[in-house]
Amino acid sequence: MSNAIKQSGAYLEIVSFHLGDQEFCIDIMAIREIRGWAPVTPMPHTPPYVLGLINLRGAVIPVIDMACRLGMKMTEPSERSAIIVTDINGKLVGLLVEQVSDMMTIRSEDLQPAPEIIPEAQRAFCRGIVALEKSMVCFLNLDTVIAEELAQAA
Amino acid sequence: MNKSPSAKSNLSVSQRLATLAGAAFLGFGSVLGLGWYQNNRSEAALEKAIVAERGMRTAEEMRFAGMELVLIAMDTIIDREERKIQPDRAAQIKASLELLDAKTPALEDLARLLGKSSVLPNFKADFAELRKAIEIDLKALVEAGAPADDFARIDDAIDGGGERMNAVLTELTEAAADLALERTDEARAESKHALLMQAGAGLFAMGGMLALIWFHGNVLRRGILGLRDSMQRILSGDLSTLVPALGRGDEIGEMARSVDLFRTAAVEKRALEQSAAASRDEMEQERDRQEAEREQAVARIKIAVEALGRALNQLAEGNLAVAIREPFEGGLDSLRRDFNDTVERLSHVLSSVKENTASIDSNGRQMRSAADDLARRTERQAASLEQTSAALEEITATVKTATERAEEASRMVDETRINAEESGRIVGEAIAAMARIEGASSEIGKIINVIDEIAFQTNLLALNAGVEAARAGEAGKGFAVVAQEVRELAQRAAGAAKDIKALVMRSGNEVETGVKLVQETGGALGRIGANVARINEHMSSIVMAAREQSTGLHEINAAVAQLDQMTQQNAAMVEQTNAASHTLAQDAERLSELVGQFHHGQARETAIRAAAPAPLQSAVKAGSVKTSAPGAGAIGNAKTVSLRKPAAAQASTRPTPSPAKALMGKLAGAFGNKPGSMPSATASGENWEEF
Repeated sequence: MSNAIKQSGAYLEIVSFHLGDQEFCIDIMAIREIRGWAPVTPMPHTPPYVLGLINLRGAVIPVIDMACRLGMKMTEPSERSAIIVTDINGKLVGLLVEQVSDMMTIRSEDLQPAPEIIPEAQRAFCRGIVALEKSMVCFLNLDTVIAEELAQAA
Repeated sequence: MNKSPSAKSNLSVSQRLATLAGAAFLGFGSVLGLGWYQNNRSEAALEKAIVAERGMRTAEEMRFAGMELVLIAMDTIIDREERKIQPDRAAQIKASLELLDAKTPALEDLARLLGKSSVLPNFKADFAELRKAIEIDLKALVEAGAPADDFARIDDAIDGGGERMNAVLTELTEAAADLALERTDEARAESKHALLMQAGAGLFAMGGMLALIWFHGNVLRRGILGLRDSMQRILSGDLSTLVPALGRGDEIGEMARSVDLFRTAAVEKRALEQSAAASRDEMEQERDRQEAEREQAVARIKIAVEALGRALNQLAEGNLAVAIREPFEGGLDSLRRDFNDTVERLSHVLSSVKENTASIDSNGRQMRSAADDLARRTERQAASLEQTSAALEEITATVKTATERAEEASRMVDETRINAEESGRIVGEAIAAMARIEGASSEIGKIINVIDEIAFQTNLLALNAGVEAARAGEAGKGFAVVAQEVRELAQRAAGAAKDIKALVMRSGNEVETGVKLVQETGGALGRIGANVARINEHMSSIVMAAREQSTGLHEINAAVAQLDQMTQQNAAMVEQTNAASHTLAQDAERLSELVGQFHHGQARETAIRAAAPAPLQSAVKAGSVKTSAPGAGAIGNAKTVSLRKPAAAQASTRPTPSPAKALMGKLAGAFGNKPGSMPSATASGENWEEF
């Protein structure tokens, strides 16, 4: 992936979604599937952003509230909410988002790095900012957002 | 056949016949019984004779058998050389012995019957000896060929025994023959006696029956003959003699009682005829006496009538002082007193009439002037009545128009009410329709939700397809474009669904507002309906009042017409009164002339003066003084009139109940006004009488 970004002139396909008023996006290649909201089974002794487990065709996968994980208010799950099932380093994780808004193809030049005044630790979450005509979309670095946590959990 | 004395007359005819039959039955029965009894007795005597004869015959037989036995024994002795007894002789001996044995009991009976039982033991001993000599000794001697001495001895023995037996038997036979003869005689005597007895009984029965027939026949004949004589006596008119045999208990007694009833009835009838004749005589005498009394009365009445005639003639000539001095006889004197009283009273009355004639004259003049006043006022009254009538016609027309208008208004109000009710119903339907729209809106909402859901799912599917296409790299490019198109379509569908949802929600709100408004309209329409109903009530009461007004006006009209007519009649009557008052004065003059024809005693006249009422004179004076003032004169006049003919005055002035007043009351009731709010009407009603 990182290779793909670095290639200049290459196209990058992303999926954007809403969390509250903000819009984020992730690389499409990390996505295995997008599902509608279904009730989760809570797990004991987990951080508040880990909502619980769901059954995906026999495989048990955790579901993480992305809004909570990114320091925002807890998402109120509704029928219009969606779970984006991602494959992070070979592990399946469900991300609860408020609404899947779009599927875009951008050029890698359009991805601008985050301003450097933001501290490093926080900047690691964001691989860059996609500036669109109406809004700006934060390209999330799933490896840092989720993988570390998974590693910790493991 | 012994009868008590009362039975002599109390037995009925059938009972008497029954006694005759009973006597005959008793006689025949006694003859029969006696015959039977005597027959039995002679039969018994004959029987005994037969027994004696039979015993005699038995003794005879035994005697012969004994003799034969002796003879055979002799023969055997004679033929002793044969040394045995010949068999036929032995058989004869045996038979004779057996006969003797068999007859011995009969012989014993005979001996007992004859009372000679003492000979029997000798006979039996001889018989046994004889049997032994013949049967054993003789047989032994013959067979042994014994010497002749033995035979001689045995021969003696046999002869002796046979002779003794023979003697006994002969004796018994003779005795039996005697007995048989004796018994036969006895029987003959019995039968002779029986014949005598039967003849006696028969004669006695015949005699009894004859006596009974004679006795009953006499009793019946005497009774019937007595009755016949008695009936003949009654027929010939001799009713005093009593009917015999009244006390008898039989049919003749009943007949006698019936005949006696006839007799007593005849006696009563005769007594009645006698009393009727006596009363006829009495009435005859009474009639003669009354005839004489009546002639006396006629004479008395004639005297009285002549005296009365004279007195009445004097009275007709005008003499009121007439009086009958000499008294009448008896009850007619009251007639004389009555006549005297009547003449006296007549004279009183005539003097009163004379007094009053003057006052009639002056009152007649007053009445004349009063009648003139009355005529003038009656004319004025008639004129005002005509005006009233015209005004009433106009009012009637107006009220009729008002009534019609009010009825039309009432009809219109009715229609309005119906329309209002109809509107209420329509409002209800509108509310229901709104509710249905609301329901349909919610249905639409549900469908929109489904569409939205489908759009969302489609969106998810398109996203997944895009993801797959991206992962396929260059090969999935085309597919990614299609997925994108699908996603856009889904998003458009979702947007459209959202728009429709908003629209439906708005329409729901609008419907709610519409329902509220329609309900308000319904309430308003209901209030309008209620108001219309109230208006309707008012209208109907107005219509009713108008109708009553109309009828009241009709009544007033009729009353006014009546009033008019009465006024006309009053006018006519006033003229008549005028004429009458003129003639009244003339009549009063003539009356005083007529009364002047009568002359009467001075003493009576003064008495009448004293009795004449003083107020009358004063009233006459007042009337004559105040004739010039018509009003006051009228009042004075009324007072005088009230003295004379109060009944007529009351009847003519009494008013009929005023129809106008009744109408006022009705109208006041119809409009809910208080009756007191019409003082003028009541006042006018009170004034009616004066008017």
